[in-house]
Amino acid sequence: MEIILVLIILGVLGYFTYHPFLPSTKYEKAQNLFNAKDYRQAVNILNEIFEKHLDAPTKLAECKLNLGYQATGKTEKTKYFTEVTALRKKISNSASFAKFDSIEAKALFEISKIQYKEANGNIEKLNKNIRFIDTANQKGSESNFSSLKTKHFNDLADIHFINANEKEKTGKSSDVIDAIQSYKSASDYAKKSNNNFIIYNSTSRILICQLKTNQSVNLVSSSEVKKSDKNFQKELYYRYAIQHIKNKEFSEAEKTISLHLNFQSSNIEELKRILNREKINDAVKKVTEINTSIDKLYNNTLSIEELKSFYDGLDTVSDELGIIDYELSEKIADIKPTLFNRLLIKNIENEEYNEAINVIQKYPEFWKSTELLKNFGICSYGLAAKGLLSERNYKTVISGWLTSVFSDNVILKSLDDTAWDDNYTFSLAEAIGSNHSQHEAIPENVNYDEVSETNISIGATQKELLQQFETIIQKEIQDASLSKLVNDFYDTEKEAIVNIIAQIENDSFFAAPYFAISNGMNNEIISELDKDYHDYSNEDALEAGIPYIKNSKSTVVYQYFYASDLINKLKTAINNENKTAVKRINSKNNKQRIERFDNINNSIEDNIFNTISNKISRDENNKKLIPVMEECIAFLNQNDKLKHQYSNYVSNYCILNVNDETINNYEALLLMKGAYLRSPNNPKIVKNFITLIKFNLMDMLNDQTRKTTEIYSILDWVKSNMSQTYKQNSNELSKARGELLRQLQQAGTDISLFDDSSFSSILSGHSLNSQGLKMKKVMTYLKELGNEQESTNPLDTFTRL
Amino acid sequence: MTNPYTILGVSQDVDKAEIMKSQMFAMKKKEFPLQVIAVAAKQLLDPAKRLAADFMFPAKIKVKRIQPIQCNLKYKEINTDSLNENAFNSLK
Repeated sequence: MEIILVLIILGVLGYFTYHPFLPSTKYEKAQNLFNAKDYRQAVNILNEIFEKHLDAPTKLAECKLNLGYQATGKTEKTKYFTEVTALRKKISNSASFAKFDSIEAKALFEISKIQYKEANGNIEKLNKNIRFIDTANQKGSESNFSSLKTKHFNDLADIHFINANEKEKTGKSSDVIDAIQSYKSASDYAKKSNNNFIIYNSTSRILICQLKTNQSVNLVSSSEVKKSDKNFQKELYYRYAIQHIKNKEFSEAEKTISLHLNFQSSNIEELKRILNREKINDAVKKVTEINTSIDKLYNNTLSIEELKSFYDGLDTVSDELGIIDYELSEKIADIKPTLFNRLLIKNIENEEYNEAINVIQKYPEFWKSTELLKNFGICSYGLAAKGLLSERNYKTVISGWLTSVFSDNVILKSLDDTAWDDNYTFSLAEAIGSNHSQHEAIPENVNYDEVSETNISIGATQKELLQQFETIIQKEIQDASLSKLVNDFYDTEKEAIVNIIAQIENDSFFAAPYFAISNGMNNEIISELDKDYHDYSNEDALEAGIPYIKNSKSTVVYQYFYASDLINKLKTAINNENKTAVKRINSKNNKQRIERFDNINNSIEDNIFNTISNKISRDENNKKLIPVMEECIAFLNQNDKLKHQYSNYVSNYCILNVNDETINNYEALLLMKGAYLRSPNNPKIVKNFITLIKFNLMDMLNDQTRKTTEIYSILDWVKSNMSQTYKQNSNELSKARGELLRQLQQAGTDISLFDDSSFSSILSGHSLNSQGLKMKKVMTYLKELGNEQESTNPLDTFTRL
Repeated sequence: MTNPYTILGVSQDVDKAEIMKSQMFAMKKKEFPLQVIAVAAKQLLDPAKRLAADFMFPAKIKVKRIQPIQCNLKYKEINTDSLNENAFNSLK
């Protein structure tokens, strides 16, 4: 016990003696000093316990970092921050590193900041510090380091740009080339520091330096230049324009000046003056070339290719020279018709008909020249005769040919070139290209007199030409499908031009539809036809105009075409058995459109009737046609023929299908109700309907139908819709009733029970079972639908039978 | 279809007698079948049909003979030496 007490006392004494010297106690003291910002005292204690306390190294680093912050001089600061970094080597316990890292990073950042300030625009020092930053521990201070680095890049961009400026200013070629590299470096650093000002300006300066050193430059896609300094742009584009002029790229120079150097300056005026001089020189050169070509043309040494190129280039040359010398430009334009004529005749002589047609078509409003229209016809004939019609050209060729031959003036033009006709006169009386006396002015040897041996028919010449062409296209085209295309197209075009010539009274230009539409004269023709309709209500004129419609919606011809097309659509819908399509056409507006034109309105029922008849002739047992026919009847106001057609078709359909048992009696009754409704006084229809009424009543009596309610509903409708013809033919039902009563009587049945009006049936007290009641109802309907007269004697009917 | 004038080898202003004569020549020449020659002659002897054959001769537009273009402009060599390339120096 005593020993224990001694040990406790020794322990207490030991604790109080050694406690102040324990590392943790010392660390606490250092922490208190740190909190009191007495970093120097804290440093002394922390140095003592550097290796004895886990947090001592970090706290020591923190103290030194703060001492660095507090220090005023650059040297002292650097000393403390370097001491912080030096601590790393002394740390032996790896657990201490974790917290130390971030303190060290702060110290390193402070060092790099000091070094950045010390660099003071020195490229080498800045780069060295960048390398220092790149290799430094940045833990926890990454963004600070990043911003500091960007500052370096920004400074470097500025310095390189300024250096480049200085080099460029010397004007020495080698310096300017060096400047390009410096601007590139400036631009690279500017990109890293997002310094757009330097980026854009460097781009402009690089281009200027390249131009100064005679390097080739292309500014087409340089958007950065547009954002650079305005004065830089001015210098750049000015030098660029000069470069173009030196390279003889005059149009490019002109474009550069007009786009980028659009301001007053004697220097710019000088550029323009040089450009103008160049244009004059070019004009002189071109005139010399033209004169050489003219010489060759009359020496017959100009090839057809050269002639074509000469002709094709003439407009451009004339336009270009117009800016410099209008008179000269006009002189050049004046030679075009001669060249055109030469080229065209050469093409025709060489049988290059496609080329010739191309040449003619390029001539503005060529159809107004009878010579060109005639030549167009010759080329068209030539292509057909040489077997050169194709899917690509046949429309142009055929339409052009017809337009040419149907033009009386073209044939009259031929007379100008004949030398054998002195003993003849020519008559337009039978000409196919106009109505009689349409032409206001005709040559002396032409008249409208009767054709004779000496008064030659121009019409006969035209017909001869047409016949020759027709022989060619009918016999000479080997490809059967092309032959059909060509011949069908020829027939359609010919019919169309014949039709308009027959309708138009004035002396106008008559063209086949394709030719008229292709050359934009179709509206003129349509206007003439509209006029004819307005003056004479001539719907045939409107009909003739249909092939000429393109975008002429405001014309009467178009409205006529629209109405006419509705009928075509209706026919298509019928042929496709498309009830919905017929219904869609059946609108008030459409009806009004059709009713406006007698030609269409008066023939519509026949048109539809014939279409349906053709359809029926191909298939007389087609149920789908029935609702289509119903829609057609609904569409027309005048529809008696269609109703008759419908009722007969339905009736035949029902007979065929009831006999074949493909439809039942109820289905047939339902269909025949429609037929009866539309033809209530057609004896055949009425009789068939009555027979079906009888069949349906018998089916109900014999429990052979489930449609009792529906059948009675139809029969009730019939009761209130009996036509005169129905009444005249309904005795079939009375007979059926009489026959039934007779059979019942023979079987010993009290037939008075089946007569509602019979007094005995009321007095007898007998009641009918369900079968009897059914019989009675059928009897009653037979009686009522048989249109029997009321009688007091129930056997009257039977007696009558 | 070959033009009857070509078949008979005659010009456009040939008269009836010459047509008959040329028919004989063409037959001797045997360049074309006899029937073709006969049809060609018949065509040229029928004024309406002959006019159709005449149709196939291209119509010439009346145009004047082109004269060499007189130009008052004179060629002058371009001199770019006068240009002051540093006129818009932007690094002053």
